[in-house]
Amino acid sequence: MLIRKETCIGCGKCVPYCPMEAIIFHKKRKGKKERSFAEIDLSECVECSVCLRTGACPTDAIYEQELGWPRILRKAFSDPLYVHEGTDVPGRGTEEMKTNDVTGRYPDGYIGIGMELGRPGTGTRFRDAEELIKRLVKMGITLEPHNPLTQLIADAVTGELRREVLEEKVLSAIVEFTIPVEKAQEVFSVIRETATEIGTVFSLDLICKVAPNGDIPIIAEVEKAGLERSLNGKVNVGLGRPAFNG
Amino acid sequence: MTHTLHRAGTDRNLREDFIVFTMAAKTVNAKGSAGKMRKFFEILEKHDWVNCGDMKTGNILNCDRDTIYHGIQDTSIVHFVFRDKKEVGKILEELEAAQLGNSVVVSGLVEDINRQCKRAGLQMHTVEFSGGIHGRVELLPEKPVLEITTMCGHGMVASNLVRELVRQIKKGKKTLQEAGLELAKPCQCGVFNTKRAEALLEKFL
Repeated sequence: MLIRKETCIGCGKCVPYCPMEAIIFHKKRKGKKERSFAEIDLSECVECSVCLRTGACPTDAIYEQELGWPRILRKAFSDPLYVHEGTDVPGRGTEEMKTNDVTGRYPDGYIGIGMELGRPGTGTRFRDAEELIKRLVKMGITLEPHNPLTQLIADAVTGELRREVLEEKVLSAIVEFTIPVEKAQEVFSVIRETATEIGTVFSLDLICKVAPNGDIPIIAEVEKAGLERSLNGKVNVGLGRPAFNG
Repeated sequence: MTHTLHRAGTDRNLREDFIVFTMAAKTVNAKGSAGKMRKFFEILEKHDWVNCGDMKTGNILNCDRDTIYHGIQDTSIVHFVFRDKKEVGKILEELEAAQLGNSVVVSGLVEDINRQCKRAGLQMHTVEFSGGIHGRVELLPEKPVLEITTMCGHGMVASNLVRELVRQIKKGKKTLQEAGLELAKPCQCGVFNTKRAEALLEKFL
């Protein structure tokens, strides 16, 4: 995003809308022949379009510049209305558990894990994601192939991402994978270690299919690991058809 | 994306916060699903909702009902936000009877959702929990702010917007209701609970 300096009236109304605090307000200094104006810090801006779309600017001084590679990735991972090629899903992730009743992506005996880097509200650069991906790949974990972040991996053996994308900043990026329940404790241990080393925050997603008797197997695994588990969550209520019978 | 997960809060202040949404699976039943999603929209709009939207068009605050309804595509994700779990139960009963065939997800307190599923003759199929926030948590805003901003899972609602609106409410420039609506605008999917936001903002005063 950019702000036309000649159109900006220096009211500062756009400043609080930016989730990344990337709008810098230059206040007129006393006794100087200058005026107040707002400017976007392009290193911190994630191209989410919030400042533009909310209509915060009374003079329409905010506009979106043409985004080339790799900067376009900022928009792809930050603007929820952007649809990723390959997933066809708006947003930064995949269908994950939302359609599990028809896709069977998380069968009995498996759990789905998502590590959402930069969420909530801090943002992340792809170099943070790379460190995490390298560790998981080393453990023999296969990342969800349709996730847009997985598609940035240059070397499937080491987990290295494409070099040119590493410094791009995005609102969040999700490392997604599925593991057998037996592997849960080992993976949770790595997640704990990663938490002490990573340069940003991540929100942890924990997914599993509900057993026919109503048991939710992941609860016992999370308790065993001493991890936190929310009281609220997402429930696929099984209305999708044709139902997956795997 | 898990855009309705990770809503920060307490057992008490999450009691009136439910999202019901639908989508089709790209590889299984997406073709021709837009009509079914419009039917879903028709069923849910009759109930007492507080916000709604589709990721293809935006939320009800930024565009009108007909724009969302007629803009629904096979790859849409259509959302409605509710305060009352019993309302959610009634919706599930209607959706069970309608047998539309697209996947339906309910976000909220899982025990409450489980009870409403049973009431509607459904069994929970798959569950997703938040395993908390890890890493450099010192970068996070204060918890009362986080309870508001995390109602947009895509991170569109800025912490500084919450702080600015609290200032404006204190100065009498905005009402709680106006502030709740202003906070919901950036959340394109329409999953931001404006009524819960009002209650949470009131605690700042």
